[in-house]
Amino acid sequence: MSSKDKAPQQQTVDLSTLSVDNLAAVKKQLDDELEHLTTSFAKLRQAQNKFKECITTVKTGLRPGKTILVPLTTSLYVPGTLSDTENVLVDVGTGYYVEKSAADAENFYAGKVKTLTENLGELEKIVAQKSQNVQIVESGRSFPHPPEEGAMC
Amino acid sequence: MSVQTLQDLTDEFQSLSKDMSTIVQARQKLDSQLQENKSVQKEFANLPSEANIYKLIGPVLVKQDKSEAVMNVDKRLEFITSEITRIEKQIADVQEKQEKKKMEIIQVQGQLQQGAQQQQAQVGV
Repeated sequence: MSSKDKAPQQQTVDLSTLSVDNLAAVKKQLDDELEHLTTSFAKLRQAQNKFKECITTVKTGLRPGKTILVPLTTSLYVPGTLSDTENVLVDVGTGYYVEKSAADAENFYAGKVKTLTENLGELEKIVAQKSQNVQIVESGRSFPHPPEEGAMC
Repeated sequence: MSVQTLQDLTDEFQSLSKDMSTIVQARQKLDSQLQENKSVQKEFANLPSEANIYKLIGPVLVKQDKSEAVMNVDKRLEFITSEITRIEKQIADVQEKQEKKKMEIIQVQGQLQQGAQQQQAQVGV
């Protein structure tokens, strides 16, 4: 919400007209936004890698008669073999799992990866824009103010 | 007396800001839930009706009819959307209150400054 208030300001307000306090506030807001966006970016990357891992697992991990260890708890495992290598259960979100063929599952994950790639591209643009804004504010902070105010910084 | 009111007003303003951030957080959470449910809905729409759908209840996967699952997700989406409108209203409400408080604070600040100036003028005379 507050970003909405600030966004038009960044484009229209001449930074040199702002007081030191206002400038600091704008800078802090930008820094916060930038940090939030960067962490989101990292999280999206992580999610994307997870999906990519799923694709490789579906491709390579489904061999008939393969022996596996099934985790019963985090520290207790029982040996088992894969009886069904055609179908997998896919977590589609909000606690729902859907049975899919291996090929369908691969498509599902590929779609997810694609969406994430698009989102990451958009986010990257936004992050670049924001860091540019931060730079503008930082440089604006040291220039338009006469020396007597510079002493306050 | 005015200094006290100013202090009170600032406190109230700060508590409003705090309320605001909790509400905004709730709004963000709802949004991510909305997105997740939407993607599930989309996924369900592409499934054949005989597809096996399981729901995770605690540590167990329970098989569920597609129609039931679809209905469940639809209902959730409905609920989330209504929650979002409710919270949006709350946000607007708090924003308005904040704006009012800000005005009051500025007014009191102005009064204080005027008072100080008058005092100074008197001292000067």
